[in-house]
Amino acid sequence: MNRRSLILYGVGGSIVGAARAEPAHSGVTDTEITLGMSAAFSGPSRGLGIELYRGASAYFQHVNDQGGIRGRRIAIKTYDDGYQPDPSVNNTMTLMLEDEVFLLFGYVGTPTVTRVLPMLKKFQDRNIYLFFPFTGAQPQREPPYGDFAFNLRASYRQETAGLVDNFVSIGRKRIAVFYQADAYGRSGWAGVRAALKRHGERIAGEATYRRGSKFTGTMRRQVEILKASEPDAVICIGAYAACAAFARDAVDHGLRVPIANLSFVGSENLLKLLTEGREDSRQYTDLLVNSQVVPSYESVSVAAVQEYRDFMQRYDPEAPAELVQEAYAPFAHSFVSLEGFLDAKLMVEILRRLGDSPSREALPRAVFSIKDYDLGIGERVSFGPDRRQGLQRVYYTVVDEGRFVPLTDWGERFA
Amino acid sequence: MKLSDIKVQKLFQKTLFGVLSLFGIIGLSTSILLIYTVNDYLSAEYEDNSKDIAKTIADSSVDILLNRDLAALQSLIDQFVEIQGISYIYIADETGEFLAHTFVPGIPAEILADDPTSTETVERKIDGMGHFVEVGRPILAGVAGTVRLGMDTGVIALKVQRAIGRQLYLVCIIFAVGVAAALWFVKLAANPLRDVLAYAVALARNEEKEVSSRGEVLERKDEAGQLARLFLYFSRGESRDDEAPPGPAGPTA
Repeated sequence: MNRRSLILYGVGGSIVGAARAEPAHSGVTDTEITLGMSAAFSGPSRGLGIELYRGASAYFQHVNDQGGIRGRRIAIKTYDDGYQPDPSVNNTMTLMLEDEVFLLFGYVGTPTVTRVLPMLKKFQDRNIYLFFPFTGAQPQREPPYGDFAFNLRASYRQETAGLVDNFVSIGRKRIAVFYQADAYGRSGWAGVRAALKRHGERIAGEATYRRGSKFTGTMRRQVEILKASEPDAVICIGAYAACAAFARDAVDHGLRVPIANLSFVGSENLLKLLTEGREDSRQYTDLLVNSQVVPSYESVSVAAVQEYRDFMQRYDPEAPAELVQEAYAPFAHSFVSLEGFLDAKLMVEILRRLGDSPSREALPRAVFSIKDYDLGIGERVSFGPDRRQGLQRVYYTVVDEGRFVPLTDWGERFA
Repeated sequence: MKLSDIKVQKLFQKTLFGVLSLFGIIGLSTSILLIYTVNDYLSAEYEDNSKDIAKTIADSSVDILLNRDLAALQSLIDQFVEIQGISYIYIADETGEFLAHTFVPGIPAEILADDPTSTETVERKIDGMGHFVEVGRPILAGVAGTVRLGMDTGVIALKVQRAIGRQLYLVCIIFAVGVAAALWFVKLAANPLRDVLAYAVALARNEEKEVSSRGEVLERKDEAGQLARLFLYFSRGESRDDEAPPGPAGPTA
């Protein structure tokens, strides 16, 4: 294990690991390339930012151990936004104008990213690009802001369409939606609505919750609203604390239908909340189905998954100590950290293609040069001016024996 | 009764009561007028502001509705709902389907039962939420939908109460200062009268020493001095009938 290989700046400018090199105007020096990250490291959704960061750190540390990219080590300047839009905007201002990072990387959340995108357009003369945000929403995938972001993961439209198509295929056509009352929730809601429309159906019922809701809160009212609509299935568009609370209250109040969650939910944290300290946890998890945008971390036959598991074990990355003020027990493996790992792997490839003199202006050209690139997960990655999302595939998982495993037969599981 | 015990109170009690009553009537009528005026003015202003905000959202929504994802629309209304007093916003398309809203845990039955494409201003009571003034504005002349916005009348009432409270606070201060000034003036007016009264009592009791010590009241050029001189004249009247009574005090006296 070598924690000295990655230079990690916390919010207070503290440094973990090697000595800090002064960032140059464009975030690049002879010895370092600095990326900027604003994510949730506090609050009920902190598990998302922490795990995404840990996964990315594992790969960046490996690259730094190998001498970096053409002699330049990779550093991440991190700030906590608590999954709230205003701090995210302020952090972005700091990263762009004061820290002058080379690019923005690994932002978490739709309500945060949708507020940051106009800033990237405002400062477009600085050529600041956002790479691989942890959100499947549309605003960073289409005009007028699509030109300022590059996405790796499949979109919420693809995730919700896949869930709806599979539910409808097994006769579960009355689909209700439980969603976060913000841009993320609306993005998923719109995806479900559009997918149902293709099948000649409409959303059977809907209920919302406030962003930042905790697992200890009640979702009984939401369960009652959805139960009244007599759904065949419920699709949740939320974060793990609220979605776990909903799944718990749904079971407790007799809503026994499949409950689907999107990849953003943070599957391991969701499962932990529903099972920790419960002897009867199976009743809360046997009707869960979670869509994922990366393969299962249990699929060790997949090359990148094996690599991910090796690096996570070797480097055992930690979240920035300055930012994580609340207790958090990291997972050895998770879908979110695997996504962070793949984000970092592709980021490194793009940085390599920038050559000896990396510049922000050259970033789009380097990204668009990625054609049929093998990331090691069996799905090739391509980018182009009209293709700003690298991966398209959606995976579906269910809980068996206390862990998420691939879902192979929808009919057998939920018919 | 000792001369030092003499106090002039009864004469001014009615005057003081009259002054206080007048102040009370002025304060009360001013406050009532103020409440109506401020309430009407602020309520109208809040409603106008709501309509302006609804129009801003409606204008901003056109491009989003026609060209972009509904997440952008939700992000837009989420920013406006942070403004104090705005409790909820919802946008429906031209068919009445809700496209974005800010309700938690769901769209209230009172709103579901109504026409979301209406642009009328309505007062609405929603169970568990409160009372609201709801305004509407068409998006692209209504062919792209409608935005409706609810202002919490409780927040408006609180603002009105605060404004009125500040005004009443000022009225109360003026009232207190006025009462204090009235008391001071009454006391000022009572002092010479008390001296005259004491002087008259001394004359009546034929207390030469007391009459002599209170003689300065005769030097006064106001009504008190004139009255004292009149008392002196009458006390000597039986022995000096040929003298005329004293005239008004002053330069011509």
